[in-house]
Amino acid sequence: MSQKQTVQINSAVADHGPSDRVEQVKARFLTYTPEVCPERARLITESYKETEALPMHLRRAKALEKVLAGMSIFIEDDELIVGNQCSKPRSTPIFPEFSCQWLEDELDRLAKRQADVFLISEETKAILRDEVFPYWAGKTNQEYATSLMTPEALDAQGAGVFTVGNYYFNGVGHISVDYKKVLEKGLEGIVAEADAAKASLDCADPEDMKKRQFLDAVIISNKAVIAFANRFADEAERLAAGADAARKAELLEVARICRKVPAQPAEGLQEALQSFWFVQLVIQIESNGHSISPMRMDQYLYPYYAADKENLGAEKVQELMDLLWIKMAGINKVRDENSTQAFGGYPMFQNIIVGGVDRHGEDATNELSLVMMQATANTALYAPSLSVRIHEGTPTLFWKKAAEVARLGLGMPAWYNDRVIVPALLSRGLSLEDARDYGIIGCVEPQVGGKTEGWHDAAFFSMSKVLELALNNGYDPMGKAQLGPQTGSVEDFKTFDDVVAAYQKQMEYFVKLLCHSDNAVDLAHAKNVPLPFLSGMVEDCIGRGKSVQEGGAIYNFTGPQGVGVANVGDSLAAIKKFCFDEQVVSLPELKAAMDKDFEGAEELRQMLVNRAPKYGNDDDYADEVAVMATDIYCAEVEKYRNPRKGIFQPGLYPVSANVPLGSVVAATPDGRKCGQPLADGVSPQGGFDVSGPTATVCSVAKLDHTVASNGTLLNQKFSPDSLAGEDGLQKLIAVTDTFFKRGGFHVQYNVVSRKVLEDAQANPDNYRGLVVRVAGYSAFFTVLDKSIQNDIISRTEQVA
Amino acid sequence: MNWTDKLYDFDALQKPDWEPKGLVFDVQRFAIHDGGGIRTNVFFKGCPLNCLWCQNPESIRWRQDISFVEQHCIQCRKCIAVCPVSAIKTDSCEERVTGIDKEKCILCGACFKTCYAGAINIIGRWLSVEDLVAMVNRDRDFYVASGGGITFSGGEPTGQPKFLLAALQAMQGLGLHTAVETCLHVPWEQLEPLLSHVDLLLTDIKHMDPERHGALTGVSNELILENFRNIAGLGIPVRVRIPLITGLNDDVANLQATADLIASCKNVQGVDVLPYNRLGISKCHQLGCDYALADVAPPSTESVEATADLFRSVADDVTVGGM
Repeated sequence: MSQKQTVQINSAVADHGPSDRVEQVKARFLTYTPEVCPERARLITESYKETEALPMHLRRAKALEKVLAGMSIFIEDDELIVGNQCSKPRSTPIFPEFSCQWLEDELDRLAKRQADVFLISEETKAILRDEVFPYWAGKTNQEYATSLMTPEALDAQGAGVFTVGNYYFNGVGHISVDYKKVLEKGLEGIVAEADAAKASLDCADPEDMKKRQFLDAVIISNKAVIAFANRFADEAERLAAGADAARKAELLEVARICRKVPAQPAEGLQEALQSFWFVQLVIQIESNGHSISPMRMDQYLYPYYAADKENLGAEKVQELMDLLWIKMAGINKVRDENSTQAFGGYPMFQNIIVGGVDRHGEDATNELSLVMMQATANTALYAPSLSVRIHEGTPTLFWKKAAEVARLGLGMPAWYNDRVIVPALLSRGLSLEDARDYGIIGCVEPQVGGKTEGWHDAAFFSMSKVLELALNNGYDPMGKAQLGPQTGSVEDFKTFDDVVAAYQKQMEYFVKLLCHSDNAVDLAHAKNVPLPFLSGMVEDCIGRGKSVQEGGAIYNFTGPQGVGVANVGDSLAAIKKFCFDEQVVSLPELKAAMDKDFEGAEELRQMLVNRAPKYGNDDDYADEVAVMATDIYCAEVEKYRNPRKGIFQPGLYPVSANVPLGSVVAATPDGRKCGQPLADGVSPQGGFDVSGPTATVCSVAKLDHTVASNGTLLNQKFSPDSLAGEDGLQKLIAVTDTFFKRGGFHVQYNVVSRKVLEDAQANPDNYRGLVVRVAGYSAFFTVLDKSIQNDIISRTEQVA
Repeated sequence: MNWTDKLYDFDALQKPDWEPKGLVFDVQRFAIHDGGGIRTNVFFKGCPLNCLWCQNPESIRWRQDISFVEQHCIQCRKCIAVCPVSAIKTDSCEERVTGIDKEKCILCGACFKTCYAGAINIIGRWLSVEDLVAMVNRDRDFYVASGGGITFSGGEPTGQPKFLLAALQAMQGLGLHTAVETCLHVPWEQLEPLLSHVDLLLTDIKHMDPERHGALTGVSNELILENFRNIAGLGIPVRVRIPLITGLNDDVANLQATADLIASCKNVQGVDVLPYNRLGISKCHQLGCDYALADVAPPSTESVEATADLFRSVADDVTVGGM
């Protein structure tokens, strides 16, 4: 029985562009270059030196307390929502307790590297070298995790079969806390809850003695955050003294709010946003995990909006939301150089999702859903990530707003399908109400917020490398070493099924090593880096007296990602067709050509590229093979359990790990050359999708997206002209709707930009499927004369 | 069934013995400017006109053609080895393959079969109605969701009337919206039986003056205009497409005469102004023929907008670039 009251949605509330204040704040934001800030590293090192005798929970809480009390704070001109992560905007703190050897090694390259550059002063370098690195040598979480791993697992990681680097070197992140509880009860409410739990403990029970440490840590850390907010109140009052009348009033209001929240329950929208922001911010100071995802903000902020909207007016609401969006974009973290390949572009993956059904299965769209989409359009930054949920009852005005934002070419929103995701989560043990209440963590990973430790980004696993090992009898042709079990040489394979059997055996071996490695890192986090502030906002950590790292959450998962769906599918399809069905080339001959990176065998390579069926073209021959190869990966992953009493669940997305994982895979039977990137997510290999978007989504929908419950990712390109006008919106909606009716999980749209066309001109093989769409005309972009391509490129600039 | 499958279905190169047969040079999924919504566009081979600006020059001949895309050629020279009539052209040093001598070529397909790089293509495949049904069924859900359907284009689809009729009947049997894009230079007796199976006609008015029309397209416009008025009499929905070619048909007098014609026909649902583009150049090069309008520039944005405005005075729904 629905408890939702029908509220009339006025779509005009979300028609407001950026205010002058928002434009100014954004313009200032864009002038900042990311820098390394040494404050956190210095403060936490001092704290750890002071607390060596204490249990880890208390050491973590005291460290946070010291950082929040000692770090620089500031309020910028025009800001209404305050709170900074570092001594300068867009700068990054350092988290030496997780790992720091890489930082020591790369310190002088941070400002010079290709991607995600961070400036670093000589003074900062000196602090890190003199005060920080010496203390942490031999004490980091990474070093502990390594000690738990077998040599075989380390070899497999070294060879690029999989990488657990994300959590190995960093915090876990990938969580959504119970923001609703913070807004409703305040942090004082959480302290009270922890106090009550402490009161019921038996002081002689050894288990309860451990719980007490955790609960004390929760209390210390929450009080530290309240004190942190009060520092901003002080600073606002200080600035107010010297400000003009208008700004003075704003600053005094900021001061009033920071004295009240997040300590106490929020009232009104600005208090709610400020309370949210302190929590969101401090989680990203306590630990360096990314993908701290606010998830269903349009739901838990709605009561505060509804109570305040008449008072504020739509323009002010939009301005506050836009300002919060820019604050979120200012969060940053520095990664090691290899990881910047997998996570390029300073991403923090703070994922906000709007729309979908509520806990009772009714449409949950409200005016804030639209305001939040407009905030993404107004700020036009790379963060926060915006997602939308689609279900049978999604209202037309929601569809249209989402499509309008999508065609701006920001790559947002990402679209999610309730029809697949709710059952997928049910199958993993969530209650129906919790499954309906899902949001998205990070890139594409679904979970219910506030009660899940999903470990969603547990690893990137190269399905393509596994196939390579199956074709090499377990020998790694790139690393020149026997890496996997001997599962037969290509000369031994008499049928296609023999090839698949070898792939299956290699898969079993390496997925086991993968899960072993993930569990090693998992155990290390529980021992070394529990997060008391975060844990206090995740059900049922206080009740169980355990941090999320120790299994305090209601739902626990580990989600490693398979990468190379299209490559493995296309490769096996080519082997099946040419080596077995048609026997035009023997498997040993094909393998010999691959060993030479197709040197002297370009004709064969062209045959593989142009005459083999390819995943992504709605061709059942190729698609069925891709589905089979992917199912083998998924079924293996599902067999394992993690230390938090949860299960492993597979996902199929790469972030940008398809590039580094591809760099260590030799030539493949799909005609891909040695070292080239693997395909992205469940998308077809670039250049092989020659049948248009409808064919692509039909192919992708054939995969079992319910089993890949840790998330799948489809990137679909559209040319700007195909999305023009009212009709263009309808086409985008129709493609999405049909994909979802057929069982798709996620899709996001990239509008083909001038940059893409120029890249297509330079690298035509990667863009064979790029169609020029003109009335009554059909041709691929890459076969046009250069002058005509230039015409189209210049025209695209005008349109976009 | 998929067009990509059919591309390398060598059996489809040979004229089949079944009826009705259709010679088709492309099937484009996700066509979005040819009749509304998401559509599949089937391009028929053969056209009675030979417009100077043709953007699909490979569509003109009523038989197969061969094309050579130099960018794709890997110079493996296998085509030279297999060609039974020595039709592969090379540069003066005989080092690089540069094209195909169409005078010598007998369209046997031997080079195409061996060209794994996809540089040589035989343009035109024989399709059955069953093939088409299998293709369009793939995208049926997209047509329904977007208000799209199937468009028969070309070339000139009515030039293969038996096949087109059977295809239209099959599509209507599937409940799909059908559009036919025709130049209307076709005997009324051939056109009329098709019309009851067409939900929307897309037709070009290229020039109102018979002589100019002849000079630009190779045929007079008398039959075209007569058919146009007959169709208006029958009340069949039509979108009129105006290819706007700089200096050739964009004078105000001609455009006004076209607008007057449209104003007199109540069945015209909309007008699409299609600014000249030079996309035909690349295809001409690939076919080894000359492009007549090499020096003509696309019309200016102002000129396109002025033309669209002119037609807005006679039609409610005017687009630039089609819908």
